[in-house]
Amino acid sequence: MNAAAEEAAEAPRGIAGELSGLGVSPRFDDRIDLDPELTNRESLRLIWRALKLLRSVKALFFGKLCLATLALVPGLTLSWVGKVLIDQVLLGAPIDDSEVRFPPHFQPFVDAVRDLDRGDVLLAVIALLATMLVLFGRGGLGVWIGYGADTATNSELKLNAGSSRVAGVVGVIDTWLHIRLSQRLANGLRTRLFRRLAHLPMAKLDDHRIGDSVYRVMYDAPDVPEISLGLTLEPVFTLIGVAISLYLIQYSYGAVSPQIVWVAGLLVPVGLLATLPASGLIRRVQQASRAAGTATTNAIEENMSNIAAVQSLGGMARERARLAAKSEESYRRFRHVRIMEIGVSAVSYLLTVGLGAFVAIVVLAEIIVGRMTPGDWAALFGLALSIGGAGLAIGMAWINLQANTAAIRRVFFFLDLDAEDTLGTLDDLPPVRQSVRFERVEMRYPNGHRALAGVDLELRIGELVAVVGPTGAGKTSLAGLVPGFYRPSRGRVLIDGHDIAAVDLESLRRQVSYVFQEHLLMSESIRANLRLGNPAATEEDLRTACRTARILDFVESLADGFDTVLGQSGDTLSVGQKQRLCIARGLVRDTPILILDEPTSALDPRTENALVHSLRDAAEGRLVIVIAHRLSTIRRADRIVFMEDGSVREVGTHEALMAAGGGYRRFVELQGGLQGGRGQPRA
Amino acid sequence: MPASNFLSIGRVFLRTWPYLKPLVWHIVLWVCLQLASFTTSGLAVVLVQDILNNKIMLGHPLEPGQATLLLLDERYVETAELTQEQRIVVRDRFILAVALGVLLNTLVLQLIVLHYYFTWITQQLNQRLRVAMIERAERVSLRYHSHARTGDAIYRIYQDSNTITAVVDTVILDPINITARCLTALFILWLFSPWLGLIGVLATVPILAIAAWYTPRLQRLSRQARQAASDLTSRIQEAFAGIRVVKANQAEQALLARFDADSRRALDAALRLRLEIILLWMAILAVGGGGILLADYLMAGWTMSEENTWLAGMVTLVGFAVWNLGAYQAASGRSAEYSDWSRGLIAKWTHMLDMAVGLERAFRLLDGEVDVEESANPVAVPRPIHEVAFREVSFSYQPGTPVLTGVDLVAKAGTVTALVGATGAGKTTLMSLLLRLYDPDSGTISLNGTDLRDIGIEDLRGNIAIALQQNVLFAATVADNIGYAASVRGTAATRDEIEAAAHIACADEFIGSMAQGYDTELGERGGKLSAGQRQRLSIARAVLRDTPILILDEPTASLDAQTEQRLLRNLSEWGIGRVVFLITHRLSTIQGADRIAFLEHGRFVETGDHETLVAMPDGRYRSFVEAEVAGAREAS
Repeated sequence: MNAAAEEAAEAPRGIAGELSGLGVSPRFDDRIDLDPELTNRESLRLIWRALKLLRSVKALFFGKLCLATLALVPGLTLSWVGKVLIDQVLLGAPIDDSEVRFPPHFQPFVDAVRDLDRGDVLLAVIALLATMLVLFGRGGLGVWIGYGADTATNSELKLNAGSSRVAGVVGVIDTWLHIRLSQRLANGLRTRLFRRLAHLPMAKLDDHRIGDSVYRVMYDAPDVPEISLGLTLEPVFTLIGVAISLYLIQYSYGAVSPQIVWVAGLLVPVGLLATLPASGLIRRVQQASRAAGTATTNAIEENMSNIAAVQSLGGMARERARLAAKSEESYRRFRHVRIMEIGVSAVSYLLTVGLGAFVAIVVLAEIIVGRMTPGDWAALFGLALSIGGAGLAIGMAWINLQANTAAIRRVFFFLDLDAEDTLGTLDDLPPVRQSVRFERVEMRYPNGHRALAGVDLELRIGELVAVVGPTGAGKTSLAGLVPGFYRPSRGRVLIDGHDIAAVDLESLRRQVSYVFQEHLLMSESIRANLRLGNPAATEEDLRTACRTARILDFVESLADGFDTVLGQSGDTLSVGQKQRLCIARGLVRDTPILILDEPTSALDPRTENALVHSLRDAAEGRLVIVIAHRLSTIRRADRIVFMEDGSVREVGTHEALMAAGGGYRRFVELQGGLQGGRGQPRA
Repeated sequence: MPASNFLSIGRVFLRTWPYLKPLVWHIVLWVCLQLASFTTSGLAVVLVQDILNNKIMLGHPLEPGQATLLLLDERYVETAELTQEQRIVVRDRFILAVALGVLLNTLVLQLIVLHYYFTWITQQLNQRLRVAMIERAERVSLRYHSHARTGDAIYRIYQDSNTITAVVDTVILDPINITARCLTALFILWLFSPWLGLIGVLATVPILAIAAWYTPRLQRLSRQARQAASDLTSRIQEAFAGIRVVKANQAEQALLARFDADSRRALDAALRLRLEIILLWMAILAVGGGGILLADYLMAGWTMSEENTWLAGMVTLVGFAVWNLGAYQAASGRSAEYSDWSRGLIAKWTHMLDMAVGLERAFRLLDGEVDVEESANPVAVPRPIHEVAFREVSFSYQPGTPVLTGVDLVAKAGTVTALVGATGAGKTTLMSLLLRLYDPDSGTISLNGTDLRDIGIEDLRGNIAIALQQNVLFAATVADNIGYAASVRGTAATRDEIEAAAHIACADEFIGSMAQGYDTELGERGGKLSAGQRQRLSIARAVLRDTPILILDEPTASLDAQTEQRLLRNLSEWGIGRVVFLITHRLSTIQGADRIAFLEHGRFVETGDHETLVAMPDGRYRSFVEAEVAGAREAS
């Protein structure tokens, strides 16, 4: 069982199912959240959290609220304009010739045109419509560009989503606010996720899959604003619209035809009934589709980042087939989503047609007997349809909400992941002057593997210390304790007598530079890469560091010198060059403690000699810890720490340890002895 | 409208043809069904408006054709006005007929058949393109990848290939459908009054002018938005890959700041693009909406004075001889439809612009310069391989900075050749050329005298196993990682083969100590393994492939001396009858080779075995060895 899975199992929120795929399951892609079951309570809790996010965008949200309220106006007005146009203008009926009352907000217009003749009423109507056109346009606004038929793509679009019920001046501003609102919310979350990643403990990051999962969750982030906004704006305004429409129908037609009122009132629950039963099913299918989409992204991503290996191993055909299969699966599942959607739409459409027919029968009967006019048909039918549509919209909103809660859960899960305890309450570590001391340090990885077993050791500033031993002896674990990448499971690490568990992590790391075995460079200029750890470094600092790392000549030989931009992961450089740039980057930080993990493995002997030589100079006033295999590097150290099986076996100078005749001597003889065995060069 | 825009969009869209071609009959069928559906419903609406408004609401007698359709007798036709009872009967039959028509057309045809069919068609298309792009990305040489950031490649394949799906929709199908709708509406308007038709046609002029003026603007904004989004993706991806370094350097704040700036740029670009599109729509809405109001005004006037419609008596199915309520409703509905659909056409145009930008980027990858061109008539790799020969091989990654200049080397089967030289001398590059990850700028590389360029690339790579210095492990079990390459040959590796390979690579010990042994899951990029362990796994992987040529790039760099010697012994036993290349710095490893080729300044300056080379006074290799020995001695 691997580390991540165990940690997930220990995660405080009991969300083990979330990450169950991380270690237990044999299939890699199963790490995606496939668990579609969400209790109602959990849903509500997540939705509440999503709603609380709105606090960060109060002003924007308020603006959007005002405009969205304003956007209700045309829906409640145009029906009556149509009635006047038909009854008074086209059919020439007197304006007060009906039992139907005009609603209060439309009365001023009616009063204004009461005494005009047909032609002037027509002009007044056209003028009113023109004004509405400028303010509210025709129809709504929504920008969906570059859409694709895939769940994963939609994330990027959701991030910038925005719409309005109306167009025109009001609609433009409304949409603008909406886009900004979505962006603000989604990006706020992304930034938090990003920051969370930066503060994850190193032991967690050792399992790259955690980082990769966070990366994917960044694509879930835009689902959250969709919930917070979708839940507050859409249903609320839909309901307000419905309430007002019902009131208007009651006000105008309550006396004429009471049954119209209750038919209209029934439209909402019927619309809900059409959609809700299917919601659980739809959510499950959508979830499966999303997981398959993620699997495709994984496949593409892995393929791209391993391109050299894939090419050199001749695995291209296989990779292609793998990708095609993933992609095909993703599409198959997406089609299932479509079928579900079509099914739900069909049911609701049937209901709509049925209700429409019923309303038509009732209203036409009233018109035939003369209690209503053809103008009332226009007014009522529009209102009834919008009410019925509202019921459906609320039902669909609920379904979408369910689909999104799974995404929200992933987002919040990662936001809640344990961070390093960097609380500002701890004291800063004063400038290091003396030593690093390990006291009975034992260290276990989360998977139970014991990397260190009771190490006692003191390393002093001014020393160049080589940590030596067979592969897997615990050298890297020992070094990783110093900058607090790992925590001892027992014992203490003291720097100048301060337990590093009790000092501020930032202040500790400010004084330790660590150069990793892997040489990771960003695709930026060499200068930016070198300054990564010390943005304040001067040009001279950079040159000094490069000189010490024996890379200055190379950098200067490049056409653009320090401004040369490196390719992806620095691929344009040889491994040795990258290695030395990484060392230079560590040196630029100019810290009292410098740790180099196998700095010379890819260097030729001459370069290595020169580098080790300058490192010795660098050890002046510093503690330099070098993890190494090569004898030529090791021999020059002030002290050698020989490790085996997680314990420090021997400590001393090369001569002393050789004389002692222990494990170190055997280790050296194996290398040196064979070296001389096949043709000793005449030195 | 600037011709260049049409041209560039046209060209880009033409490129999708090969992917469209196999689906063309599906598309034709879909379009025909769609058109049939639109035109029938468009014409039916006119009839519906007449019966509803004039007959049911106002009580006009039915037209003879209408009575037949509703299965009613002539009493409904030959009367001055319908009685209330008659109107009720007409109402019931009318509603039943309309409900049936709507269900059949909208529900069955539109929603169930056409919607699902369309999803299927677009997915087929998208699948083809994705596979083609991945294939291309793998073939485009490493030179491309070393400059293009991975994130960008992912973005392209994922985002841009989806755009293609929408191409059929936006560029071909929707315009056909929308145009058909527009023309149906315009035709009906024309039947009512040529003036209305004229207004409709004239309104298109300012609309097209506005769209043309906006086009280059939108294209530019769309390109900016996509570039910004792609930059952001790259940034995030890189940050995640390098997070350990970031932490060690305490660069979290700087990283966050850059992320913040990048995402701000991406968001602003996205907003800008959307606002501009909205404004374009608004401008067009103003024209279209004005047209509708004008038409409404005219039609209402004609209705008030009960003027004749243009086609007055010619239509027997509908009662629109004069302008009446039904005629007004039918015509007004058509004018609104015409305006809305022509606006829809412009909306499609803006989509098209955005898509053209996406496709341009996608095709740039598809068109990516293929440095390594597959031979038209590839020959098979000769067997057995006696020798690998480099003759006068020169190569540079970037013009002006040569890496190899006239390299000559012959490696025979059954020998281990060590490539030795200073860091950056070009040793790894030489092996990349052998794998045809690149082709030499000049000179030839041959197997038994057959030029590599005449051999199929997959065939060639199938015969060379390599353990890379930057060893890449896949997120799978240990056994799968070792067996990865074997499944390339078509059959999965057996557990025995895997264990044997692990034994040769000295990996069996540490694998045995893992809790789940060979079934242990590794994380992406090797998870928690040490550098030395990863190295041995990738050697095992190469060994398992059992190829006549084996390349080991720094196989021992992270190993302790004991493991190193065991590994070298195993490899030399295993290597009998094979060509083995060894790239290394370690003297102890070099000495295990049969032949040493010393590379300096892009060429081999000395070749021979260790004793010969060391015996050369003032030899380059000799001074290299002396540096190592001196380094070790000086300290002692």
